Order: sequence, then structure tokens, then C-alpha cells
Amino acid sequence: MFEESKVAFFLAKRSIVRGNKGTLYLTILILGMVFVNLIFLPSIITGVAVLFNQQSIDYSYGNLVIEPSKNQIYINNVSELQKKVEHIPGVTGVSPRYSTGATFTHKGNVVTATLAAINPDDEKTVLKTPSKVITGNFLSSGDTDQVVLGYQLAGNMNEKLDVIPSLGGVSVGQTVDITFSNGVTRPYRIKGIINSGSYSADGSAFITKKEYESVIGINDKANEILVRTEATGNENSMRNTLISFGVQEKIWTWEEKSANFLNQIIGSFNIINLIGTIVSLVIAIVVIFIVIFINTVYRRKQIGILKAIGIDRSIIIKSYIFQALFIFAIGTVVGGIFLLLILQLLAVSPIVFPGGPVAPVVDPMLIVRSIISLLIVSIIAGYVPAWITTKEDILSAIRG
Amino acid sequence: MIIGRDLKRIYGKGPVQVLALNCVSLEIKKGEFVGIMGASGSGKSTLLHMLGLLDRPTSGSISIDGIDVGTLNERERTLFRLRRLGYVFQDYALVPELNARENVYLPSMVRGMTPNECTMVCSEILDLVGLKGRSHHLPGEMSGGEQQRVAIARALVNKPTILLADEPCANLDSQNSRIILDLFKKLNGDLRQTIIMVSHEEWHKTYFDRIIYMKDGLVEKK
Ligand SMILES: Nc1ncnc2c1ncn2[C@@H]1O[C@H](COP(=O)(O)OP(=O)(O)OP(=O)(O)O)[C@@H](O)[C@H]1O
Ligand SMILES: [Mg+2]
Repeated sequence: MFEESKVAFFLAKRSIVRGNKGTLYLTILILGMVFVNLIFLPSIITGVAVLFNQQSIDYSYGNLVIEPSKNQIYINNVSELQKKVEHIPGVTGVSPRYSTGATFTHKGNVVTATLAAINPDDEKTVLKTPSKVITGNFLSSGDTDQVVLGYQLAGNMNEKLDVIPSLGGVSVGQTVDITFSNGVTRPYRIKGIINSGSYSADGSAFITKKEYESVIGINDKANEILVRTEATGNENSMRNTLISFGVQEKIWTWEEKSANFLNQIIGSFNIINLIGTIVSLVIAIVVIFIVIFINTVYRRKQIGILKAIGIDRSIIIKSYIFQALFIFAIGTVVGGIFLLLILQLLAVSPIVFPGGPVAPVVDPMLIVRSIISLLIVSIIAGYVPAWITTKEDILSAIRG
Repeated sequence: MIIGRDLKRIYGKGPVQVLALNCVSLEIKKGEFVGIMGASGSGKSTLLHMLGLLDRPTSGSISIDGIDVGTLNERERTLFRLRRLGYVFQDYALVPELNARENVYLPSMVRGMTPNECTMVCSEILDLVGLKGRSHHLPGEMSGGEQQRVAIARALVNKPTILLADEPCANLDSQNSRIILDLFKKLNGDLRQTIIMVSHEEWHKTYFDRIIYMKDGLVEKK
């Protein structure tokens, strides 16, 4: 067995060293590209998912969201609950808020959008929205007749540039009328405009919680409390901690809150990914198969001679598998180098998605999986053509 | 001892059918140096292919040292060739990707010799056939005669009990032919190797213990 492999290895080595270099380099290159293809697209998709997840946390939900108990519209005695949660170990920020719908009017533009009523100082401890002001300023705790708009909601003078229905390009200092759910309409001066890269934040408006409570006529309530925790990833155990500290309201993790949207996106991406992977692997199989097949057909006579002088078919087949493995090994290394170069390039000038710049996230398991699939593909694509060609009888092979 | 019984080999089918061997029977004793002679197309190579286990007769049987080789499967026949037979092809049949030395030692490598042993045996034999300085040349870089001698060296490297040579001197001048034939004679004498050699040359006859004449796929009685 070992002797056989030694001879097969010897023959493979000579074939590679003395065979056609052009074809060899080309095959290695193709295999390398297939490897890049297997890794790159999924990594970008993972990168997008990571970006969306981070946005959900940073601009929409924090890590945990406390909502009113069943059949309640509001959480009552919010300041008490806030204090309680703030003191739980692992909690770094708590922001009680009202998240509702409202109608915004400016010079004939009427838009319905999300209105978040917040305590600016609390909001800063949970979300990054307050730090994303591009013009003007964010709200201060005493503000009453001021509003901060997401830049998508503020919009553009040129309607065609808008992604969502907008106020037509309003800017800081102008006035917007807000009609609340109870029918009250009040004018607000635009204090600032934010651009966070998150669709939900950039399509919302912000006023102070105090102002909202005075309009609606309620006090010390909220319809959601966002909680930021020290670490991301252990939301479930933090939820239990909150419960053990006596929080009786409903508690969601950010993942649960954004589940539908994200699952849909990731679900469709996974299908794209699967198709891409299968196509890549089929290309790899076909290319290596063709190359090895042409190689063996081209060496028909040689294979006949080898059999004639007493070299078993299995040794000859093995020598072609070794050649395929060589192509696989070098191809993977070449592909790996390519991939590193691409990642380096993307680190310098990232791909900008609507949500912001996306850095590819390379999962080590994906690399392992890709290498294993390519390995299997190479063995099959080396074995089958060699098996076919070595079947021929000796004299016909030698005559050519 | 090689015994062939009623060997027939028919090439092709239908109207283009060629009867290359037409019921040949023969016996060759161990240690005999046998010449096969006859006109071109008379079936000499075809017969040698059968005896060298490179092809199977359409009908008839061959037994070598008591083994009915027709009953062996491909793997067993390959092993048989490796261990017991040396074959010199009419058109050399060297492996183009291997240089002279590698071509020669490949069969001994398959038999499990270490690289050192291979190198030793190989340079000895290349020396015997007068190719000492050519060991690193690829077949494509050698003359017909040189390639032929590499093919002879390869056939001899495993010290086969039976050597089958299809016109091994066809491309050699008379001086080199004599060197090869003397070598064959010596191996035949020293190692009691059975040698079956196809030849066209009248003067080779002096080397043979016996000659089998062939004509139109038949052994001629003389
Ligand atoms: N593969 C083949 N297909 C068809 N006919 C063949 C084949 N091989 C040999 N023959 C025919 O069989 C006959 C015997 O051929 P063979 O090669 O044995 O002759 P030979 O005696 O060796 O001739 P030479 O001295 O020219 O080498 C010839 O008529 C040849 O044309
Ligand atoms: Mg012939």
C-alpha cells in the first residue's frame, strides 16, 4: 500500500514537473478563484447581517426592551422601574420612551412617521442616535418646542432623491407641525438633523418625553424601556437577571424585536449563498475533471506503457489523484492569498451599503467547510477521469 | 516452460476482420533462446503480445511455468508481468515524462527497491547497454537506437525469468546489435533466462538455440 503510494507520488511529481505548465497554472488559478468565490460572498452577507444586527442594537432597541404587561398601553411608575433596572449589575443604560406614530406637516408635505419621545440624557446611555447629528444639535432635557428629524424624514428638495416620503428638504430653524394621536397639533422648531445610517432612526423624529407627556396629558409612563447591557450576546441570561430583580413587564431581546425583518433578509441571503456555493463547486468539479481528463487522454500511450511494464491501474489512478490534490493545495493557497488581498483592500475602501460600510466577516467554519468541499471535489475530479482512461486495454492505449 | 495451444487472434469484426494468428501452438523450454522470424505482417508481434500477457488470444490457451495465464484477472496479469516478464517493444514505448534512468528503474521501484538500490542497479544496466552518459536525458532527447537500448535496460532491470524482445536491434548498427545480442546470450547462459526475440536479420540466427518461422499467422514447419 505504502509502496504503491510512493510510486504514484513519484509519477505525479514527474507529471507536474515535466507536464504542461500553462494548463497547470490556469487550473490552479481557477481553483483559487473558486475558493475566493466560496468564501467571499458569504462573508459579505455575514458582514451585512452583522451590520444590521449592530444597527438594531445601536439605533433601535439597545440589548433588551421592556414593554407593558398584557392589556396595558403604558408602563406605569417608570422612574421607579428605571432606578431599579439601572442598579442591576451588567446594565449600563436605561431609556424609557414613547414610540408612537404622528403626522408631520411642512408647507403642504404631509408625512406619517415614527415619533420617539425620549429623555435625551437617558437615550444617550442606550442608543447612539444622539451622537449622529449632522446639522444643528440634539435635544436637551428642557426642550419643549423643538424636534430632531432623521435626514430621510427631513428629505431632499429634489423629491427623486428621497427614499421614503419626506418633508421635502426641511432644514434646521424651520418649523414643522406635528399632529399627535389624540388630534392635538403643535408647531416645532427643527433643532437638528441626524444621519445614523439606520433606516428606522433616519426615518423618525424625536421630541422630549416631557413634551410628549404634556401634550397627551400623562405622567411618569412609557410604552417601552430600552436597556443597554455591558456585553452583547448574553441577552437571555440578562433577561432572567431582570426578572429575578422583580421586573414584571414583558422583556424582549433585540433579536426577538428585529426577528421578522432580519430572518427574512438572512433567509433570502442564505438561498443566494447556497446557489452560489453549489455553482462554484460544480465549476470546480467540471474544471478539474476536464483538466485531469485531458491530461489522462493526452497521456493515453504513457498509461498503456505503465500498465505494460507491470504498474497496476490503482497506482496510476492514485498518481492522478495526487496531481489533483496538488492542484487543490496550491489553488487553495493562491485563493487564500487573493482573499487576504481583497480583505485588505476592503479594509481600506469598504463597500458602502445603504446601512453603512460593510466589512466582510469571515467565519472560520466557512473556511474549513470550503476547504473540505474543495478537497472532496478534487478527489472526485481526479479519480473519475483516471478511472475511465486506465480502463482501456494496453495495446490500444500504446498504439494511441 | 511456455506452452501455447491453438492460439488465434482475430482483429476487427465483419468484412475488415484480420486473422493475425491462425491456430498457433508452440512450446518453449526454460532457458531457451528462441528467435521468431518471418515476413512483415506474419504475426510475430501479435504472438509476442500474447506470450507477454499484453493481449488475450481470441481463442486458445497459454500456460507459463504451469500457470494458465488466461485465468488470471487484470491485476494478477499486471503483477505477473512485473515479477516474471521483461518486454522490449518494437517501438520502445518509453515513458516520455521520465528520463532514461527513471524509465529504467521504475519497474524496480514498483517492486519495492529503495532509491539507492534503484540507482545502483540502474547505472549498472545502463552501463551494460552502453548508455552511461545518457541517464538524465528524456526519451525525446535521444536517438532511436539510444531509446531502444533504454527500453532493453528497462526490460532487464527486474531480472525477469522470461525476456520478450520485439526486434530489439532494429535501430542499432551492427556493433551495438552485437553488444546487445552478446548481453542476451550471457544472461541466457548465466541466469538461465528464457529469451524470445523477434528478428529480421539473417546473421542473428547464430545466436538462437532455435528459430520459429512464421507466415500468414501460422508457424511454418521447416
Ligand atoms: N490492432 C490491429 N488491428 C487490426 N489489425 C492488426 C492490428 N495489429 C496487427 N494487425 C494485423 O495483424 C497482422 C499481424 O501483425 P503483426 O504486427 O503481428 O505483424 P509482424 O509480424 O509483427 O510484422 P512486422 O514485422 O512488420 O512488425 C498484420 O496483418 C496486421 O496488419
Ligand atoms: Mg512486429
